[in-house]
Amino acid sequence: MQKNQLTSPYWKWVPASFALAGVILFIFVTFGPPASSSGFVAALKGAIEPLAPAYVEVKQHYAMSGGPGSWVFAFVLGMAIGGFIAGRTFPVQVRDIPEIWEKRFGSSRTKRYVATFASGFIILFASRLAGGCTLGLFISGSTQLAVSGLYFGVLIFAFAMLTARIVYGDIGKEEK
Amino acid sequence: MSIQIWLGLISGIAFGFVIQRIGASNANKMARAHLMIEGDIPRFMLLAVALSAIGLVGLQASGVGRMLIIPTSLVATGISGILFGIGWGLCGYCPGTTWAAAGEGRMDAVFALLGGLAGTAVFAQVHEILIPLLYAPTNAGQITLADWFGSKPAAAALLVVVFAVCIWGIGKLWARSGHDVTS
Repeated sequence: MQKNQLTSPYWKWVPASFALAGVILFIFVTFGPPASSSGFVAALKGAIEPLAPAYVEVKQHYAMSGGPGSWVFAFVLGMAIGGFIAGRTFPVQVRDIPEIWEKRFGSSRTKRYVATFASGFIILFASRLAGGCTLGLFISGSTQLAVSGLYFGVLIFAFAMLTARIVYGDIGKEEK
Repeated sequence: MSIQIWLGLISGIAFGFVIQRIGASNANKMARAHLMIEGDIPRFMLLAVALSAIGLVGLQASGVGRMLIIPTSLVATGISGILFGIGWGLCGYCPGTTWAAAGEGRMDAVFALLGGLAGTAVFAQVHEILIPLLYAPTNAGQITLADWFGSKPAAAALLVVVFAVCIWGIGKLWARSGHDVTS
């Protein structure tokens, strides 16, 4: 763990915001509102379609989605590639278990993986019900001044902050 | 490959790179953001949205860019926001950062991704039951702030002011917002 305050390898938030806004506007011009939770649907559609074409055809959620040949799937795949490139050119070692989680729950991989699997399940289930996620609903929606995005944004921040307090308890206080 | 796939791929690589560089694909930093310790990620998100909103008003004025407003359903969007927040607070990943973090080689994110695929599959199975039950009855349609405040520029200006106040508030209330933190 590095603690040197002068040489943080992370970008500063203001220039990083300009960079992200540039990417978002590029996407609005070349495609439309960016989204990532729909990339999960596209990936799944691609996996299920060859096995059960009739099922994919009758289920509305797959019928309304693109498959692996769609922009959204290329986008989420690109995100993984972008994460890979960024991670390989970054001085901080990646961890399978976050430091704060390890302090609170110990170094059991099983415990952490079960928790992230369950969270991933809840998050995507919720995203598909709302029609979007942090990116597809909050960021894309708010950029277009959509009430849905702002409403969703307030709730996700509020409940994530509340949940983190419950999950990490006193560890959170010590960290300050 | 079609041009759309190349555009999606390039956009995704750029997006994934930037969110890794601010630390959003690092669940430790995300947890510290939620615990009001580090303010960089939430301020980054809010400023990026405010800048994009200003940019989009400009693009729209010149007839460029495709919009798609997701409808607001008081109940469905509300329940989803609450569930999503609980999941996000518990693991520190959201759908987009999961892909970037998995690409970085974080094994816990790979499990979040698998869980996400399972959650998507289950939702797709019950879509026909839940959408008429939870979404449709309180669906207020594709409403935007522009519908409430008359014009797009006025609504965008209001959003920018509100987000600026939030960014300022995070700078005041989050413990280490004024410093660089690496871990």
